[in-house]
Amino acid sequence: MSIESGPVCLRCDGVSRRDFLHLGALSCLGLSLADLFRFQALAGSPGSKRELSCILIWLDGGPSHLETFDPKPDAPIEVRGEFKPISTSVAGIQICEHLPRTAKIMREVALIRSLTHELGNHDTGSHYLLTGHRPAPVVQYPSLGSVVARETGVARALPPYIAIPDAVPAAGSGYLPGAYSPFAIGGDPSKLDYKVRDLEPPESIGFERVNRRRTMQQTLDDFARDVEQSPATVSRDAFYAQAYRLLTSAEAKGAFDLSQEPRQVRERYGGRRIGTGCLLARRLVEAGTRFVTVVDNGWDMHQQIFKAMPDAFFPGSGKLPALDMAYSSLITDLRERGLLETTLVVMMGEFGRTPKINAAAGRDHWPRAGSVLFSGAGVRGGQLIGETDAYGETPAERPVRPEDVAFSILKILGVDANKEYMTPSGRPLKILSEGGFIGELI
Amino acid sequence: MAGEIEEVIGKMKHRGMLAALGLVLALPGPAVARDNQFSFATRILPVLTKAGCNTGACHGAATGQGGFKLSLLGYDPEQDHDAITRELGGRRVDLGAPDQSLLLRKPTRQLEHEGGRRIKRDSDAYRILVEWLAEGAPYGSRDTQVIRIEVKPSDGLLLKPGQSRPLKVIAHLSDGTVEDATPLALYSSNDDGVAAVDREGVVTVKNRGLTAIMIRYSGQVAAARVGAPYQEGQAAAISFPVRNFIDEQVLVELKRLRIPPSPLCDDATFLRRVHLDVAGRLPTAEEVKAFVARPATAGKREQVIDRLLTSPDFVDFWTLKFGDLLMINSKKLGEEGARVYHDWLRQQIAENSPLDRVVRELLTAQGDCAQSGPANFHKFTTDPRDMGEFVSRILLGTRVACARCHNHPFDRWNMDDYYHFAAYFARTGFDNQQLVQRPFGEVLHPKTGKAMRPQPLGGRAESMERAGDRRTALADWMTAPENPLFPRAIANRIWKELMGRGLVEPVDDLRPTNPPSNPALLKALAVDFIRQGYDLRSLIRTITTSRTYQLSSQVNAINRQEDSFFSHAYLKPLTAQVLADAIAQATSAPEEFSGYPPGTRAVTLIDPQTPSYTLDVFGRCPRTVGCESAAQFGGGLSQALHLVNGPVVNGKTDKALSRLLAEPSSNRVMVEELYLRTMSRMPDARELPYWENFLSQAGSKREALEDLLWALLNSREFAFNH
Repeated sequence: MSIESGPVCLRCDGVSRRDFLHLGALSCLGLSLADLFRFQALAGSPGSKRELSCILIWLDGGPSHLETFDPKPDAPIEVRGEFKPISTSVAGIQICEHLPRTAKIMREVALIRSLTHELGNHDTGSHYLLTGHRPAPVVQYPSLGSVVARETGVARALPPYIAIPDAVPAAGSGYLPGAYSPFAIGGDPSKLDYKVRDLEPPESIGFERVNRRRTMQQTLDDFARDVEQSPATVSRDAFYAQAYRLLTSAEAKGAFDLSQEPRQVRERYGGRRIGTGCLLARRLVEAGTRFVTVVDNGWDMHQQIFKAMPDAFFPGSGKLPALDMAYSSLITDLRERGLLETTLVVMMGEFGRTPKINAAAGRDHWPRAGSVLFSGAGVRGGQLIGETDAYGETPAERPVRPEDVAFSILKILGVDANKEYMTPSGRPLKILSEGGFIGELI
Repeated sequence: MAGEIEEVIGKMKHRGMLAALGLVLALPGPAVARDNQFSFATRILPVLTKAGCNTGACHGAATGQGGFKLSLLGYDPEQDHDAITRELGGRRVDLGAPDQSLLLRKPTRQLEHEGGRRIKRDSDAYRILVEWLAEGAPYGSRDTQVIRIEVKPSDGLLLKPGQSRPLKVIAHLSDGTVEDATPLALYSSNDDGVAAVDREGVVTVKNRGLTAIMIRYSGQVAAARVGAPYQEGQAAAISFPVRNFIDEQVLVELKRLRIPPSPLCDDATFLRRVHLDVAGRLPTAEEVKAFVARPATAGKREQVIDRLLTSPDFVDFWTLKFGDLLMINSKKLGEEGARVYHDWLRQQIAENSPLDRVVRELLTAQGDCAQSGPANFHKFTTDPRDMGEFVSRILLGTRVACARCHNHPFDRWNMDDYYHFAAYFARTGFDNQQLVQRPFGEVLHPKTGKAMRPQPLGGRAESMERAGDRRTALADWMTAPENPLFPRAIANRIWKELMGRGLVEPVDDLRPTNPPSNPALLKALAVDFIRQGYDLRSLIRTITTSRTYQLSSQVNAINRQEDSFFSHAYLKPLTAQVLADAIAQATSAPEEFSGYPPGTRAVTLIDPQTPSYTLDVFGRCPRTVGCESAAQFGGGLSQALHLVNGPVVNGKTDKALSRLLAEPSSNRVMVEELYLRTMSRMPDARELPYWENFLSQAGSKREALEDLLWALLNSREFAFNH
């Protein structure tokens, strides 16, 4: 049974998980014809060697760094809180006591403790971390997943960019065509009978008829009298093409089917949303998707943080144990399957939380400090990058900015962030205008 | 930071004497009138702004940089003057040896400066700053400020791609003087693809089209429209029969930009389009046949428009649209509140209440939210700042949010404007469900702590504290015939609904630096709207009876390049509820919505809380945020999958065919019927024989028809309003 404790699922600005909408793909921007041809051309090319993929575990709401990966046991009680740190498999790195499994696999992880920025609002903070840009009124920036989708190929059976279960608003395609927005699987993957909707035709419609229908639809569109091609129609066509590729590939459809996983694997990941999400992400990466965002809500702990974090009420009521199981299992599983070399796993939220505990026994937004975990895809694990000061208020050394995180993710995945895109209004724009590679990662 | 403090103290000790001397020199004598040459606000600060010192990424950031904080783009000259001349004991300036000032040595990179080199040593900027420092770094007259700027040429700058022309910016000061602000103004192009502008204000046109150059100087903004026509040569041939002022104004721009318009759309296209745009539904097969068969008379199309405008479908559809705008949502308002609000709104639309009256009722509502529809308007938020932002966004098409914390960086609103406006809502409160106006409650300016008197955006302060409802004053101002803000914003929104694109985009972002693609047209629409008594139906009629509205969406070689000047109709994807209803109507198989009787159409649902995956994946507005901006909801791969495999189509084909096959008909008749129901037209000379043949060859006729219907409902043509 998966239960999310009520209040912590909401963000403080009232936005709940259900409000994260299936992300818009029929953006008014659409695909240019050039993109469409490129799109179609890529469909022909076979996947050769295994390419790099990314799993981004997004801890929505802003996880407290002090209660996770940056404990401050020597700080006064009103800062250090109720939990103690534990040692990990890396000498010199301690993390929260409620993450014992993760502690064991820290040698696979490069832990950045010095993430810092100024945007303390959920929407702007998420935007900054997920796109590498501060939000700007005149430009809609694409998320990293959309950039990767564009750069690394769209035209496989599986959509290249997937969100589990829904995409946060900043995870969209921005000024890039809607084809690069994430496919949100929707629903609750932790439910035992979970199925991604609409992947199978109705029972009465057999394979032959599906093909015939598709041909007929194409014929109608070819007849198309009054409907000129425009970005919106091209985009729509691209989605239908994407849909058919997915629907006609048993392998791709099967990747979404968690029932194919042995029960003990599911149990190892934990039955909560984050666990099943990570397991599903692993399957999808195995099947060839390029960027999966696993969204875990409930980290916006303005109150009762010491009850919300551990399993304070019953097994499964807390966030940390679920995270612990999910993350450690994912890394271990990828390692055991030989996938970790080609899969970058990043875990972060939009910001950390106030070092001083507030009057409601919680912590508030604190963008000045936060943690980011990198693992896989050649990242040198077992190291610490950057440190915060005694109270976890600000980086004491090696500050890392969101654009640096973005730059590094892209670089590791083989994308040059200095590359220029053309926005639909014809404006050339670098993928990232700021940011540098965090060299210590490799 | 700690290191810097030490550095300061060190420096102070080292040059304490000089600094002290400098301070003495710098103390402004009482009311010494300096001439504008050294006016900090109007002379010196623009130099720093131009050098980029106070952008949001540098010292203008909320926490400044390196311990030095300036106001964003110089909106607070007094604060900035203090920061420069007095903070940290005045160590940033060296009045005895101005060249030695940190203020100069850092941006010229004589000292480590993370911001790089912003000022060259042998530049006018440097000289101005040195002279000012030598003069004692005075503030100058506190009253002197720039009250507006103008740019020449402001419009009609049409060049060929590749050509350049300099802009000239004139600043008008409060003391009556006029200055050339060209070298110090900030320039940016709204669309680099069409035209670029350099730091000196020289515009270079890159491509055909029209865009605006945004100019900012000393807290003021302006825009210059620039671009190049879409073809060489004369525009004599560009014309079409003019039905009303809309066509006149559209033609002016088409001629200027040399864009040949498309021809008139045919009858079937017109019928489908106007049904979808005005009534939110497809025409029935019978309606199509009847209309196409009717002889072409003057007024044939107007009759359809008039009939639709007075139909119940019109009322349902526009209640939906306004419900989206007002964000009527039972999640926020409760079931009862949402229902009452919705019913009230529907009644206003049904009675064609003038929109100025509707807005007045909304703004000045009182009473029990469970009984008074418009009282729910104020449930959106009780925070007057949020309410100010909401009201200005939806009713005035203006985003003031930036000005909550600092002056708006590219609009005319400053923090005072923001808090003055918010003050209108300071006395709203709720006693349980009762909306009341309290006799107390103020909005305080966050910097001065002063209570802000209610004052309209761009208007004058409310004289005297009046007993009674502040909101009445707001309603008076908003609906005054001399006030174009509300009419412009509404006319622009209605225009977008019908034409597929606003004259200003986004429709909640009207500002001087985001000019309409046709300023004269928007102005004329607003004027006409006021003149017609803020009449919604009249406005819709004016737009839909114009030739411009009825142009074909088929493009020619030239006009296919443009998407803002209405030389042809723009494709509009069917919106969520309309698409769902269109499928239901074409198949005679309605969706089912829990809590509603069978046969309910999606456009009549009161709010988006009615569960429907179909509507969500089709992108219905969730009414928790505004739905105007480019980021759409729903759509994409999920929508395609749902249309291909989901029950929204597959669950309905059966029922549709049972009806169709109820009477024996020829293949021809059945193909025609399917086309009429879905595409709202007859199949043409290629399509008809093709599908007739397909049916006659098919093994199972029923399956073949089902598949044809499925394909029609999944076709591109069905999904778009063209």
